[in-house]
Amino acid sequence: MLGLIKKDLLIIRSNLKILIILFLVYGVMALQGEMDVSFVLPFMSVVIMMSTFSYDTYNKWDAYVCSLPNGRKNSVSAKYLATIILLTITTIIITALAVIISYTHTKAVNFDDILMTVFGPVFATILLQSFMYPAIYKFGVEKARIGIFIVIFGVTIIASIIAKFINFKSFFQKLDALNNYWLIIVPIIMITVLYASYKISEKIYKNKEY
Amino acid sequence: MENILEIKNLSKKYKDFELKDINLKLPKGMILGFIGENGAGKTTTIKAILDIIKNYKGEIKIFGLDNRKDEKKIKEDIGVVLDDMFFPEILTPNDINSIMKDTYNNWDSGLYFKYLTDFSLPKNKQIKTLSKGMKKKLEIAAALSHHPKLLILDEPTSGLDPIARNEVIDIFQDFIQNEECGVLLSSHITTDLEHIADYITFINNGKILLSKTCDELLENYGIVKCTESEFKKLDKTDFIKYKKKKYEYEVLIENKTAFNKKYGINTIDKITLEDLMLLMIKGVK
Repeated sequence: MLGLIKKDLLIIRSNLKILIILFLVYGVMALQGEMDVSFVLPFMSVVIMMSTFSYDTYNKWDAYVCSLPNGRKNSVSAKYLATIILLTITTIIITALAVIISYTHTKAVNFDDILMTVFGPVFATILLQSFMYPAIYKFGVEKARIGIFIVIFGVTIIASIIAKFINFKSFFQKLDALNNYWLIIVPIIMITVLYASYKISEKIYKNKEY
Repeated sequence: MENILEIKNLSKKYKDFELKDINLKLPKGMILGFIGENGAGKTTTIKAILDIIKNYKGEIKIFGLDNRKDEKKIKEDIGVVLDDMFFPEILTPNDINSIMKDTYNNWDSGLYFKYLTDFSLPKNKQIKTLSKGMKKKLEIAAALSHHPKLLILDEPTSGLDPIARNEVIDIFQDFIQNEECGVLLSSHITTDLEHIADYITFINNGKILLSKTCDELLENYGIVKCTESEFKKLDKTDFIKYKKKKYEYEVLIENKTAFNKKYGINTIDKITLEDLMLLMIKGVK
């Protein structure tokens, strides 16, 4: 599997330069207090990893990977692990950046705020990955990309319509009670969703023909 | 003789194509040439062997093991070249080494780089900058560098110039010197197969039409060129197919000696695999 993780990381090697430039530009903007960068880098890292699916399709890699030892299983695991590796690196970077910003502005480091700033975007990005990857394995990159945006758009519209008729205030007040536990709850949800996504992707890829 | 690859009653149905009861045996130490026109089912058969396609019926055994149940063990010992290019073009041959050494237990970087040198392939150029022939050579180098016991090659010589083709064919012949190994070689370039194949299996429209040793085919089969009146004297059971040309009939026969004995016709042309394919597909009975 290590070989296949390497393959994905080597493919995105040239795109990493873009990620570094983005980090530098947004980093400077964030230091000047002009922009919140916490979402950009994790989001970009998943988008860049998604580009490896396009390379795989274009180069007909999937048929070949099936001929490698444990190729089908390892290919899916490698894709998820390579994404997590990249996401971990970007999380470390944005955490460091958030510490610097916090210290520059307040001369103190508020770890609760920093965790909140970092966790939210990382959680959202993992959710995006968790929905996108099985969709890509099932429908291919292009269809999945369009499909997922239609789904997000549809869910947003439906949610806003429902919100007009139902009062969610009491529900959110109840959620407030969980405030002290979010540091435990969010990672559990993240890991569960990601694992479910991985298992679904694995099942789809196991039966796919190339 | 022990078989390195054995296929029994392989069938696979698509909307517009069907692979029907494919039976195939590749004994150890042999090269099997797999021939047929485009869309005949060669690649589909190869994809079934490698489990790239699913939901097929039949049994495929490699090294005596089931190709699906013992997948990991089997694939450690198979070298593959597929008909389409498959390495990500943004990578370099050096990257391929880095990937493969963590993919195959027996990956031999030294051997891989030796092949790169022998094939005059650059190590650090992106694959997309290589010519079609160079890409094919890279795939062949990668297929050979983990000391496989079975090579499954789908059109490995397509895109190669005659010199490179000879080079590659020599490598396959060296490979087969180890009698524990075997090669399944699908190719349109039938002259290559005439030089190296021990067995020929001919597939057409999803069915195996013929499976024999290459020597048996080239020595016993022949083409009789005759006039219409001579042709009309022939017993239908004495030929396989015929083709009517402008001034003569071309008749494909299975046994030159028996035919000569019965009809006293001495001028029987030697057959090539290309003639055989053409007459089997385009000829009539």
